[in-house]
Amino acid sequence: MLGKLLKHEFRATGRTMLPVYGAVVVLAVLANVSIRMLSGNVGPLLSIFFGLIVAAFGICVVAAGVMTLVLMVKRFYTNYLKDEGYLMHTLPVSVHGLVWSKMIVSIVWFAATFAVIGLVLLLTAIIQTDTSLAQFFAGFPSWAEIREGLDQYGIRLGDLWFIGFEALLCVIVGSLFTCLHFYAAMSLGHMFAKDKILLSIVFFVAISFVLSMATTGYSAGRFYSLESMDVTLDTAQEAIRFAKAMLGEMLLVEAVQTAVLYVATVLGLKRGLNLA
Amino acid sequence: MAILECKDLSKRFGKIQALDSINLKIEPGRVVGLLGPNGSGKTTLIKLANGLLTPTSGEILIDGKAPGKETKAIVSYLSDKEYLPEWMSAKQLMDFFTDFYADFDRERAKEMLTRLGIDETMRIKQMSKGTREKVQLILVMSRQAKLYLLDEPIGGVDPATRDYILDTIIRNYNPSAAVVISTHLIADVEQVLDDVIFIQNGHVTLQSSVDEIREEKGKSVDAYFREVFKC
Repeated sequence: MLGKLLKHEFRATGRTMLPVYGAVVVLAVLANVSIRMLSGNVGPLLSIFFGLIVAAFGICVVAAGVMTLVLMVKRFYTNYLKDEGYLMHTLPVSVHGLVWSKMIVSIVWFAATFAVIGLVLLLTAIIQTDTSLAQFFAGFPSWAEIREGLDQYGIRLGDLWFIGFEALLCVIVGSLFTCLHFYAAMSLGHMFAKDKILLSIVFFVAISFVLSMATTGYSAGRFYSLESMDVTLDTAQEAIRFAKAMLGEMLLVEAVQTAVLYVATVLGLKRGLNLA
Repeated sequence: MAILECKDLSKRFGKIQALDSINLKIEPGRVVGLLGPNGSGKTTLIKLANGLLTPTSGEILIDGKAPGKETKAIVSYLSDKEYLPEWMSAKQLMDFFTDFYADFDRERAKEMLTRLGIDETMRIKQMSKGTREKVQLILVMSRQAKLYLLDEPIGGVDPATRDYILDTIIRNYNPSAAVVISTHLIADVEQVLDDVIFIQNGHVTLQSSVDEIREEKGKSVDAYFREVFKC
């Protein structure tokens, strides 16, 4: 059933996100033309016009990011905690399925927004600096050069892949955490009969406070000095070992916090659901 | 086995006792009126049966099981709220119901929409209130469910729509299934009911067949309800 929930969630959210991406791309094209025009000899009125297009592109890029976050919150709220909840919570699916479908779709849109904005800005940079793609990529070191550099410092390629993998997991778990921070606050806030939105905000702040206190307390005890961690950064291998351990520990802390928020979200929806 | 059973079921919201030690059984093949004044606990009972609320104490069983994923597959629920996503068209909603409910009869739904002249491609937000309610009812009654829980299906609609809704319920429900209709508009539903449950201040005050009431009290259900719940 998760597949079906995902299908309908993509259908529901795609109608918002795809036009936003379309607007970013169209405005990127117009902004690039405008920047070219502005560098030529144009009158004051046209300068204002082209300037506004470039500004609109900037605003649209920011709006795409904000929209992704707003949509993640709004879909959970309207679909599960308002009247649509009468439809969604009476489907023959588990609460876990309901929560995961929202998280997975949100993360896909986070990644898509990041990719679209990144690509558009990169292409804009390439176009505006009159650089060809070949010239642009020539600026990056070759694979052989990377291997040579690693060998020089005695770093194994496997270690770098491992760090990359840990960093990727941190980003994924961090994204889940972001979703669940909002979801848990809303689920708990909506267990009450009155002032549901206000209470959701209170829970959001309270969760932020408790989790940051717990993390700070843990980090202060664990990472207060390199000596306390039995780490020296004298060699590149040592630095790699430290980075691996550090990322692993960050991942663990993030995963524990995410799990706590997941349980709070599921319990809120399962035990405390109180649709108006 | 009863399709819906409550055993000492209670639900409390803070200081308010919405349901208090309710015991009742609803058998398959019956059309049951859940009747009571506003605030008597009808919607709370139906929400509990759908797993939208959790009992404070006691239990509620659907086909012998506590509300959950399995029972939701056999219960067709019509809320008293407009709960269909406004951006969706009737066609998209039929896709949605086809995906999630194995017992959804798409052809039946299409036939009913056509008979009522409702354009499948029209979005919910473009429809009038009455049309939206008809679409909700069509989707709910196009399932071959074991239990239909209809919360105020005729509240707030014009008499012609009211007749259509009752006709749809009677003509489309699976004869081996039970239908529970929650309402306070008794005169309108009395003709289609087999049994009635009177509920007041969270207590079941009567569970009887319509025929028994007519024979023993010599009154219609509507007249008897007015007598029992006289202010």
